[in-house]
Amino acid sequence: MASLTRNVFLFLGRTNVSGLGIKEITNRVTYATALFANSTSGNKGLPDRGGRGSVGRRPRREPGEPRTEKMPLDQDWTSVYPSATSFKSNAVPLPVRMGYPVKRGVPPEKKGNLELLKIPNFLHLTPAAIKKHCEALKPFCTEWPSALDTDAKCDEHFPIKVESTDYVCAGPSVRNPSARIVHLKVKLSRFNLDDHARKKMLKLVGERYCKDSDILSITTDSCPLRQQNYEYAKYLLTVLYHESWKIEAWEAEKTAADMEEYSWEDSLSQKNMLDTLLRMKVAGEGEDAEVRKQLLEREDVQDYKDSVVRLKNEGASESSMLQYKEAVRKVFNV
Amino acid sequence: MAASLSSSGCARLMTALARSSVLYNSFESRSLHVTAVCCKNQAARIRIGKGDKPLTYEQAHHPHQIAHRKGWLSQHTSNLKGVEGAAERTVEDVFIRRFMFGTFHGCLANEVVIKRRGNMLVVCALMLQKLPPQKFYFLIGYSESLLSHFYKCPVKLDIQTLRDKAVYKYL
Repeated sequence: MASLTRNVFLFLGRTNVSGLGIKEITNRVTYATALFANSTSGNKGLPDRGGRGSVGRRPRREPGEPRTEKMPLDQDWTSVYPSATSFKSNAVPLPVRMGYPVKRGVPPEKKGNLELLKIPNFLHLTPAAIKKHCEALKPFCTEWPSALDTDAKCDEHFPIKVESTDYVCAGPSVRNPSARIVHLKVKLSRFNLDDHARKKMLKLVGERYCKDSDILSITTDSCPLRQQNYEYAKYLLTVLYHESWKIEAWEAEKTAADMEEYSWEDSLSQKNMLDTLLRMKVAGEGEDAEVRKQLLEREDVQDYKDSVVRLKNEGASESSMLQYKEAVRKVFNV
Repeated sequence: MAASLSSSGCARLMTALARSSVLYNSFESRSLHVTAVCCKNQAARIRIGKGDKPLTYEQAHHPHQIAHRKGWLSQHTSNLKGVEGAAERTVEDVFIRRFMFGTFHGCLANEVVIKRRGNMLVVCALMLQKLPPQKFYFLIGYSESLLSHFYKCPVKLDIQTLRDKAVYKYL
């Protein structure tokens, strides 16, 4: 409709000009042609829209069809999503719907769906992609040594185990203060310790030794760097070993209260038992010391000793109490 | 406030003060006038209207639907136990949203989604096709470089364009 009226104006212009001079004619004609060009180059020909557009405005480009239409069935998906990117609705050929449906409706479609954008997607981690990753990583890997095929062998060759944690978080900083903590674990049985050295080591170490698994664990976090903490842990281990072998002068003053285990020899229990037995037996059977030695070698006295030692070391449990009861009965023939 | 008091009132107060020689406490005995509280939530809620307002899925669901029908617009690990930096990430998010709203003015079809992958900031947005593609490319490059320099970490923009907004319902 608009183009028709424009044409009419053109003709009108020409007829009007016929009576005037040449200059005016040319002016009028140029004005008319300029107007003509303007009207057709506007946006979709809407007159009110065209008022806003300036001279020489390019027509709006139509968006092409989505890529999903052109995807062959046997395409290489790893080249569509080579790395982690957000969900692109016109690059994923699946008819996915996401969202809570409107009443008597369906979940919204994938085009323009923000919910699909929000969630992390794993479209870049298909099995084919992971195979490619593995193939690419293979040249950088070395074989596990074939001699270390069991856990026991690993423990035998590498008794000291050092553990530390690295932390990753979403933020511009890589630093995390908890990354400096180092745990050092070693089995005490691997150490060359005699009785005194072992006892001293256990006393020095205290809480850090676990009796059930025979593992000494040293945890260091006092230094600001992991390297420093690791070296401090190694230093501690060395010092503990050497110190436990040394015998200081004041160690001779070890009393019965310092002993780790209960020993029946020279204890109150032994004295009491022997006194009771002596009183039970007929007096004057010989020298005191001889009699005591003979009594000690008796089997029921040995049983009693075992039961008392067990009670004191392991604590009072059902079986240990029963054992003690039996031993006492045997000694006193009850 | 002082101007609203009448001069006679002022004089009376002053005389009272002079007479009783009370400390400044008497000056602060002004009453507080409170109206009844309207216990109504109004955060991020668009109320029902005539039925001609188009709403996106994001606008149509109220904030209590987050984790039920809506996801989170911003994802980072700082809210986990033992991880620090949650406040800094939130401030960054707020700034990035305002920045995107201003840079791509009138072109945003929906809210901006911010993801953090390790060090990298990924800003995902849905845009309307209001600008020619060259302008979009320029604005994307400008935003990426400016934000990277500002936050000292790689910033990537994932822009998708739509013809018009995806309407969920009309309220």
